[in-house]
Amino acid sequence: MPPAPWKTIDTDVFVIGGGVAGCMAAIPALEAGLDVVVAEKGKVLDHCGSVGCGVDHYLTIMESGPEWDTPEFLLKHVPELTDGIVDMAVTSRVIHEMPRVLRKIESFGVNFKDPRYNDYYRLRSFGLPGTYHINFDGTDFKKHIGQRVRKLKGTVLTRTMAVQLLVEDNRVYGALAFNFRTGEWVVIRARAIVMAAGEVNRLSLNASGVAFDSWHTPYNTGDAQAMAYRAGALLANMEFVETTLTPKGFSAQGLNALVSEGAYFVNKSGERFMFKYDEKGENARRAVIADAVINEYLLGNGPVYADCRHLPPDVLDHMEATLQVDRYTMPAFYEQKHLDFKTEPVEVSISELSIRRSGVYFRGSGLAVDTDGQTSISGLFAAGDCATVSGGIAGASVLGHVAGEGVAAFLKDRSGALPEVDMEDANAIRERAMAHLETEREQTLSWKAFEDQTRRTVSDYVGVRRNDKGLRLALDTLRALAAREPELRADDLHGLMRVHESKSIRMNAELMAECSLTRTETRTRSSHRRLDYPDTKDPEWRRFVTVTRGDEGPRVGTVTCENALAAAFDRLNPGGVANAG
Amino acid sequence: MPAEAKPVHNPIRIDPEVCVKCNLCDWICPGDLIYKEEDNRETLPVVEYPDECWYCGLCQSICPVDAITIIFPKQMIQCKTDVTTLLGKVVE
Repeated sequence: MPPAPWKTIDTDVFVIGGGVAGCMAAIPALEAGLDVVVAEKGKVLDHCGSVGCGVDHYLTIMESGPEWDTPEFLLKHVPELTDGIVDMAVTSRVIHEMPRVLRKIESFGVNFKDPRYNDYYRLRSFGLPGTYHINFDGTDFKKHIGQRVRKLKGTVLTRTMAVQLLVEDNRVYGALAFNFRTGEWVVIRARAIVMAAGEVNRLSLNASGVAFDSWHTPYNTGDAQAMAYRAGALLANMEFVETTLTPKGFSAQGLNALVSEGAYFVNKSGERFMFKYDEKGENARRAVIADAVINEYLLGNGPVYADCRHLPPDVLDHMEATLQVDRYTMPAFYEQKHLDFKTEPVEVSISELSIRRSGVYFRGSGLAVDTDGQTSISGLFAAGDCATVSGGIAGASVLGHVAGEGVAAFLKDRSGALPEVDMEDANAIRERAMAHLETEREQTLSWKAFEDQTRRTVSDYVGVRRNDKGLRLALDTLRALAAREPELRADDLHGLMRVHESKSIRMNAELMAECSLTRTETRTRSSHRRLDYPDTKDPEWRRFVTVTRGDEGPRVGTVTCENALAAAFDRLNPGGVANAG
Repeated sequence: MPAEAKPVHNPIRIDPEVCVKCNLCDWICPGDLIYKEEDNRETLPVVEYPDECWYCGLCQSICPVDAITIIFPKQMIQCKTDVTTLLGKVVE
């Protein structure tokens, strides 16, 4: 039987992921007159991605007058916020672009003002040296951004998962994708591609034991990182893990609102313990808060509670009224639990782990980018939580916009035909994928069992307490799992999507273990705690750990943080310096 | 018993008496969990993959007639897990 036909699309720009970063990248490219196609696993662009159901905080410089509200002031504090592991060149670009991008998003119709004051309500949290977070009702935040893309006539391929990048001589020229409702396969030829598929979730165990109960969307599974890694891109900061505090049993957003409004954390003795760990107390960085809670539990001081009872009634009322903005179902959770956070302390747990930005702003884990958002592969851009500079929804907005403008500049003086896609290769890739649907096989493995093994391995040996032996054990298990990937079984097209996600998660877990093994120090507490190397080693380890695909598995290197990560890009520095020193 | 054979909690309760069979929940679910036959006002939406729910509540929020309720399972509402079991094993 001849292979089924492909749908073919030729475009200027292909964006993988229709969340905030992907849409914000699409917008300037569309404004520059480019043809843009967005692939998105969801169906309704206005509600896709991490904040598809809303967001209540936006970190930004506004240049409102005081010195702290300037890019220069915040930038000065970035090294201490990131413990020195940060790409200052890209961060500087992002921070300088913040006011412009904020105004642009406002022009789409997003209202950042608090109706109580008809002004911006700005709060301090997570160790930032000023009240940089706008607290607002962002229920419709993503809706306005999605609408903008549609208004500018961007094409959206919904329920579509990209599975393979097409790269020749370190230049990207397309991708393969499939629609998991129709089963249609698409070959996209594009002059530039933006990776914006988010962080890595479903990576470790959580308190509830419900695999898809996660702080951020469980449908973000590191697909962009895995795909770009296989295509030869350089990744960095993959050793760092991130966790947050959540009401025990429900991994949901909301920590920012809690700490910025003044909640306390107390242990089983009623002791407000945060000041033992950081002079900023509950206003410490997320990584520090999580580490403190981890430590209290290990000391036997658990359970730990979030306590709001001391807060004034108007603050409590505001918190209650906005409880559903970050997560629509949070009021239902408290209601079904018969718990009133205004009058009772709420037992908290650490969430499952993710590979995102390790509990600090501006140090993202994932695809290394230059100051235009371009990765080490020519024509391949990245933004949002899959890129090495990340800062919540504002970081995704700003780096997304930077990448979109970067794409427009990149394509300005480039013409000429794209390479023809080798359809024999494409058919082979599709056949390998579709083989997961084959039921008549001797041995098959469910993606759920496969993922459970990945999660158990990460929690036990690659999580918040690491050592050489445990990491090597984890690598053995993760590689043994990789060998079983051809056995993975999908019961239907939806399952075929999940199989690909499971493979991405495992790939990212392997890179995390490999990079953790290389960083022989502890940095930012339990974001990378090596029990066998408990000290932070400055200046020796003020270096990025990078990883690319080698002939025999991940090839790990380091780059001094005095350089930008782009210093390790072969396309900019033939010969490269990735492994220097 | 394999993991898949355990009874699965369905968090997305759709009241068949109230549902107007409009497709919105199918369209908005970010996890591709809810399937509704399009262009057929006779058939109800079906939660095909209940154990893959994020508990985001988008389906509930978009439902024009409030036919959807999100019900949390016992292991979320009355979570008894010892948090230290999430904090890794130390291999000597």
